[in-house]
Amino acid sequence: MAEQNKQTVTFIIERQDGPDSKPYTQEFEIPYRPALNVVASLMEIQKNPVTKDGKKVAPVVWECNCLEKVCGACMMVINGRARQACCALIDELEQPIHLAPARTFPVIRDLLIDRSVMFESLKRIQGWVEIDGTWEVKDAPIQNPYTAQTAYEISHCMTCGCCLEACPNVGPQSDFIGPAPTVQAYLFNLHPLGKFDKEKRLNTLMEKGGITSCGNSQNCVQACPKNIKLTTYLAQVNRDVNKQALKNIFNK
Amino acid sequence: MAKAKYKIVVVGGGLSGLMATLKICEAGSDVDLFSYCPVKRSHSLCAQGGINACMDTKGEHDSIYEHFDDTVYGGDFLADQVAVKGMCEAAPKLIKMFDRMGVPFTRTAEGVLDLRNFGGQKNKRTCFAGSTTGQQLLYALDEQVRKWEVKGNVKKYEFWEFIKVIKNKEGVCRGIVAQSMNSMEIKAFRADTVIIATGGPGQVFGRCTASTICNGSAVSAVYQQGAHIGNPEFIQIHPTAIPGSDKNRLMSEACRGEGGRIWVYKDGKPWYFLEEMYPAYGNLVPRDVASRAIYDVCMNQHLGINGENRVYLDLSHIPADYLERKLGGILEMYSEFVGKDPRKVPMEIYPSVHYSMGGIWVDRLHHTNIPGLMASGECDYQYHGANRLGANSLLSAAYSGTISGPEAINWAATGDRGSEITDEELEAARQACVDQFESILKMDGPENVHRLHHELGDVMNKYVTIERVNQDLDYCLEELKKILKRWNDIGVTDRGHWANQEAMFVRQLRNMILYAMVVTKAARMRDESRGAHFKREFPTRNDERFMKTTIVDYNTETEEPMVSYIEFDHSLVKPRPRNYAVAKKE
Amino acid sequence: MINTTFYLRRLHSICGLLALGGMLMEHIFTNSMALGGSAVFNAALETMELIPKPIFLGIEVGLIAVPFLFHGIYGIYIALQAKNNTGSYGYARNWQFLLQRCTAWYLLVFLIWHVGYLRIFTKGISGTPISYELVQSYISNPIIFVLYIIAMFAAIFHFCNGITTFCMTWGIAKGPRIQCVIDKLCMLMALALCLVTVAYMGSYLL
Repeated sequence: MAEQNKQTVTFIIERQDGPDSKPYTQEFEIPYRPALNVVASLMEIQKNPVTKDGKKVAPVVWECNCLEKVCGACMMVINGRARQACCALIDELEQPIHLAPARTFPVIRDLLIDRSVMFESLKRIQGWVEIDGTWEVKDAPIQNPYTAQTAYEISHCMTCGCCLEACPNVGPQSDFIGPAPTVQAYLFNLHPLGKFDKEKRLNTLMEKGGITSCGNSQNCVQACPKNIKLTTYLAQVNRDVNKQALKNIFNK
Repeated sequence: MAKAKYKIVVVGGGLSGLMATLKICEAGSDVDLFSYCPVKRSHSLCAQGGINACMDTKGEHDSIYEHFDDTVYGGDFLADQVAVKGMCEAAPKLIKMFDRMGVPFTRTAEGVLDLRNFGGQKNKRTCFAGSTTGQQLLYALDEQVRKWEVKGNVKKYEFWEFIKVIKNKEGVCRGIVAQSMNSMEIKAFRADTVIIATGGPGQVFGRCTASTICNGSAVSAVYQQGAHIGNPEFIQIHPTAIPGSDKNRLMSEACRGEGGRIWVYKDGKPWYFLEEMYPAYGNLVPRDVASRAIYDVCMNQHLGINGENRVYLDLSHIPADYLERKLGGILEMYSEFVGKDPRKVPMEIYPSVHYSMGGIWVDRLHHTNIPGLMASGECDYQYHGANRLGANSLLSAAYSGTISGPEAINWAATGDRGSEITDEELEAARQACVDQFESILKMDGPENVHRLHHELGDVMNKYVTIERVNQDLDYCLEELKKILKRWNDIGVTDRGHWANQEAMFVRQLRNMILYAMVVTKAARMRDESRGAHFKREFPTRNDERFMKTTIVDYNTETEEPMVSYIEFDHSLVKPRPRNYAVAKKE
Repeated sequence: MINTTFYLRRLHSICGLLALGGMLMEHIFTNSMALGGSAVFNAALETMELIPKPIFLGIEVGLIAVPFLFHGIYGIYIALQAKNNTGSYGYARNWQFLLQRCTAWYLLVFLIWHVGYLRIFTKGISGTPISYELVQSYISNPIIFVLYIIAMFAAIFHFCNGITTFCMTWGIAKGPRIQCVIDKLCMLMALALCLVTVAYMGSYLL
């Protein structure tokens, strides 16, 4: 049995023809090769879209771009966990490998999901530094290199949605904005120019569905493919919103 | 008086497209921004090492002229020198702009931007954000564009594929046809100016360092509609990539910039062949030079690791915490995809197709030869000549956006745009695309589109990369014609009208095959060696015959490329032989 | 800016910790007197009776009933927003997150019964004073005993885990190390309180 497993890889893929269709599963078998990953396997299925029992089917639909774990596109649920498919090595996965879409988000088709809510959230938290324009103004401010390093860490966030999928408080049942956008707000609050709008961002996070919906399950920090210390920054934002609340009460 | 408001269509949301979008919004006009993917996932984010700009903060008396000269020299004197000069002059200002936007550049202990070495330059000139500079720059622009989106100036069409441009009676580009990748709806869009910023054609080579979305389909589409392609034969082969079956993953030049050494075993001892062959620049020779050396060591001297096409890229002699700070991200990537720790053992790498210096021909203001159609970013041919220096791509992408954006408005305001496009013309253009798509859905032959793409990649990788031989290129062209013919025999398994990725890929593949012919034909015709283009039969540069821009046009009848040459501006620096074994002399 | 959600959440957090936590500690403290036998326990109850009736009732309503109702009802709303996923993500903190919600549901039902029967019906309506003997005969029923001991464990866990999340929510413990230390300390405290509970409840049966 083990011998056979070395030569082929079996996938059980949860498919769905459209947003309102019923999900179903199909089994695929592809030849094994060293260093094979899930995206490469799906590409293999594209080249020969035939199920294990010989039925010719439409190739599996999914999203991927860079295959280097920087674009965030290929997030899906692999053996129960949200992660990037491009760096999910077959050798490290238990077979048969179950692939499913991240159902925290609306499914478009098969493994393709609609993550536009995450980009909308970035609008909500005012995820940008308010500069006057792209023209020359003067020298950019000097920054504390340690703070810059923290910013660099957070700025790796590729909006993949792993933390949202893993978070029990994010999903259709809740309006929680999720860990990634919350921590992005902190990123802009760290920047010497971005912090001018800190108050706005914090007040947004104090609204319904903001950071207060965090239930401290701390799955996010485990799920983050970029190892961003999400819980640490969530606690920091918690601290900041509490201070902001006091300011809101006593400064006006 | 309120400023006139124009509608500009920008196709592609990478660094260049976003930069152009910002400039257009700042001038008060509106942008329809089309992209295959959420713009935050564009391929610009794969750039790792950095962005060149003469900041001169390392006491090396670096100058803008030096940057300009390095770029021209590195590009083997095939780039428009006036354009390059403009870019180098603007670079430090761009860096300051990015800094203000919040790009987390790596900083020195006193908080100013740190600089690193990069290939083909003797001075420290490369600003960087760890080893994910492209990601950080792209995110900064993405954020700024989001601001304009909130203000209502930008409408994003993400998950929309550009199909073709729409021209009016006078042949002026007045809009585009695009298709939603989810609903499959095909729509025509009016535009006062169209900017194509769709990046490189890496997928034409199958396995390369590019994202799966970098298929050059849009470039090929406008080429088929009459746009000139400039210098397409110059395809950069990056010397250090992790070979893989699904893609070759880039291992940044920053590894060498931070002290990485390349070697193989020779007579049982490590042989640092780059250091030996090119004592002046050592491991920091430009990419074409390094790639050819590695190719030579593996293919001709058979010294690759275990007889395979691999050489060592060694960082293990550098302190781990230094590596972590400067290169953390990519070293982690290597561990993740290969399963070995590059801090402890040397990495195994091999050259891979990486970047296209050539692309849509544009003038210095980024107009193509089709009025109303502009191009910027990797998809244009400007700035890099025959070979691009590392960390100049992010610069050229961002800089070209700062030119194409404002110029798009200028054209919309003052250009000779001819007659307004009518609803009937729009509808006709749309209907043609609908018909084409419907006929693809009906394709019922024996070929699988993805396998055919794989074959295309194999052919291109074999014949049109590091060493090119005329006989092979002729053969390759014939093979490509066969593949183009076989395209008609594709059978689609998915005939649905919802998120049908297969049918869209069928359409893209045809464009890719036609572009492959462009690259191959141009390579066939250039009988010299210059930059990334190397022919053993013609091992030297021939300035007399070939210091000219290659122009490729589409022959609508034969579907084949037609090659011609035009002069370009090289009035600022006199061409001199390119030799990295000795320090550069000006 | 009003940010009602923010204040409601923080109020939920603080009244859970102070009012309900205080109430729990009072229960454990008073009931642990049972370890000293009938006389000590009844004496402790009598001491409490010394508090003037209106004040005692005021405390019961203002510091216990109202916070409890708020914490419970708003808690239902919070618990309904979770899709629990310990199956896929079996980390300790995720289990604690799940347990926090499970114990909440149990306690909600339990407390309605407990308060309704002992405080409102027995003490309030029937006028029977609570005493060692009453409690002893009440929990000598094995089913009631088990339900009570589960409820105590649930309340203790809910409270102690609540301290941990309180420290995160209020931004007191930021880094992973301090969060982990607090979590462990709280769980140790929970264990100790559970042992005390087993001891005094067991003593009724001896």
